[in-house]
Amino acid sequence: MKSREQEYKEIFVAEALEYYDALSRHISELEKTPEDEQILAEIFRLLHNLKANAKAIGYLVIADVSHKLETAFGMIRNKELSFSDEVVTVLFDGIDMLGELISNVDGAKEIEPSPALLRNLDIIINTQTDNNTELNKVQKYYTSKNLSLSDLIYIQIKKLDHLLNLVGELIIDRDRIVSISKELDNDDLKNVSAHLYRITEELQYSVMDARLVNVGSLFNKFPRIVRDIAVAEKKEINLEISGQDIQIDRNILQIITDSLLHLMRNAISHGIEKADVRKKNKKTPQGNIELSAQNDRDTVILRLKDDGKGIDQQEVRKAIVQKGFLNADAVSDLRDTEVLSFLFEPGFSLAKEVTEVSGRGVGLDVVKNAIDSIGGRIKVDSKKGVGTTFTLYLPTSIAVKGALLCQVEENFYAIPLMHTDSVLSLPTEKLHEVGNLLVTDIKGETITVVHMRELFNNDLDTYNGTKTALEGDVQNIIIVTYNNRKLGLIVDKLLRQQDIVIKSLSRPVNTIDIYAGVTLLGSGKVCLVLDVAAITRYFIARR
Amino acid sequence: MEPQNAREKRDAAVEARVHLIVFRLGEEEYGVRIDQVKEVTITPEITRMPKTPSFIKGVSNIRGDIIAIMDLEERFNITSAARDSRHTYTLVMEAKDYTMGFIVKEVPQSLSLPLSSLDKAPSFVQDFNISENFIEGIGKYENRLIIVLDIFKILTSDEIMELKS
Repeated sequence: MKSREQEYKEIFVAEALEYYDALSRHISELEKTPEDEQILAEIFRLLHNLKANAKAIGYLVIADVSHKLETAFGMIRNKELSFSDEVVTVLFDGIDMLGELISNVDGAKEIEPSPALLRNLDIIINTQTDNNTELNKVQKYYTSKNLSLSDLIYIQIKKLDHLLNLVGELIIDRDRIVSISKELDNDDLKNVSAHLYRITEELQYSVMDARLVNVGSLFNKFPRIVRDIAVAEKKEINLEISGQDIQIDRNILQIITDSLLHLMRNAISHGIEKADVRKKNKKTPQGNIELSAQNDRDTVILRLKDDGKGIDQQEVRKAIVQKGFLNADAVSDLRDTEVLSFLFEPGFSLAKEVTEVSGRGVGLDVVKNAIDSIGGRIKVDSKKGVGTTFTLYLPTSIAVKGALLCQVEENFYAIPLMHTDSVLSLPTEKLHEVGNLLVTDIKGETITVVHMRELFNNDLDTYNGTKTALEGDVQNIIIVTYNNRKLGLIVDKLLRQQDIVIKSLSRPVNTIDIYAGVTLLGSGKVCLVLDVAAITRYFIARR
Repeated sequence: MEPQNAREKRDAAVEARVHLIVFRLGEEEYGVRIDQVKEVTITPEITRMPKTPSFIKGVSNIRGDIIAIMDLEERFNITSAARDSRHTYTLVMEAKDYTMGFIVKEVPQSLSLPLSSLDKAPSFVQDFNISENFIEGIGKYENRLIIVLDIFKILTSDEIMELKS
């Protein structure tokens, strides 16, 4: 695989060649209609971008020539230089030279720009100071133009979406074929299906790879945004960004864009204190915000950390009671992490005043829903006076997810690994009936446990967890996590871990909350994917 | 050679026929227009889907598409006639933006009858278990009475669309 740097260079060259083509076209037009300001502005813009891109990637010669040309066109625009025949020739030569330099970037032979031409450019730029200098004849070795098409193509994300869906379908069929070939025990078939397996796997990763973009493409928009919010809030913010080159599926990045923006606004307007308050608390007058990305196997972790005033646990506890989520007794029993998870409940806001940029009723629940929708996770840590950190755990790709398969009665169910915490076998005697629910103590934590078989066979409202309904001395329990809370699911049988392709359910059964979708197993069996978020939400509300 | 007007008459009659897929629910014969049916297949394995009304039997994998399967007898509260066939059949019906399967107990048959023998549903069927809205008309054919259902009305009925756990 090519290095990241090589990839950047290729993208630069492809873009630069496009710029060059556009420049050639525009300057020809300009020669006919020298008064056309629009064309002039467009040329100016192209040269400016080319200069900036070349500088960023380290092609200083290209940057230099672009700069000189940009200056010349700037002068033409300001009517300091006339678009005379002599000047036109020099400019044409200059643009051709740019093209030559771009197409030979990293080529076998290094191309030096013609010194005569550079001098000519300097002369026309400095036309006012020295009007008498003769323009040199430039030896035209740039005329041998070879036509070539770009190595890069633009493609609509829709087309890649379609491709990815097809790959998903293909994988389902492949697993089925692999499974049939095992049953039939035919050597030829086994060989072919093993080969099919490898090819589809490679195809899947290639398509997934084609959809990856740098997190930086989103992160790099933040310095400007942060500056604007900070100005509006009259605060000084020092933003540190890291991990821009971590890669993630383009659609996932798109979906979390608004969420990240929302968290950033919150951090600046509610998190970071005013400078005088910070000084009193022995903090630097400017607030520090870190935005970082890192990889952890199949997960991309985005972190937004501020050193502001933090979230006041007591205030949150008070608000939980005030807004009627829980009574005062229940609140005092909550652990700190559980308290913070209420921030993601719909209608839960601590903002006391509406400011220009935040606190307009769009709460953290919207952020959470966006992250749920792509099968991600969000976590908040905060310490009063020290700061708040939001951590987003996102899948690298949408298509394929690791899942835990289990069985309840005759059905198979899949639970995305993103939401599973652990799996354990628990003696039935360790489960207790509290209210109408089963609970148990795991490592000092009281966890609600749901008997899936009973849940499936009763209405949600009439579900009761009773010990008498449990069979056997030992229960298989999958601990799932959602929004800093844990829930145990009692299943009949634990099967295995497997990569699955989730298909969405179609109408009319797509409205049933507890299913996130459906997948086909290698055996051809339909397997329902459980929506851990919906199940957990229900039981948390009920408690 | 027939007189021209007679032939025209017959051609018109040929054009005005309706093609139905006819199946039995309970003791009666029902039909749906053939162009609403995507395929008829032996009912595949159905994965039960907890938290759905009992007339939704579950979901099935039909040629890679996963579709919901509904039991029309249960849906319309029709008492199932005793039968001991080994298979049931599934009519795969296509609505505008999704597909759904309907279970029938006996092999469905195709039948073509003149449009003129199809009466608009009379008002008394309001007393019937099936809401009148779903009935497009009553077809009569050689002493048989066929209740023609408008499947799109069943597919888009609010009751199904608003399935909630």
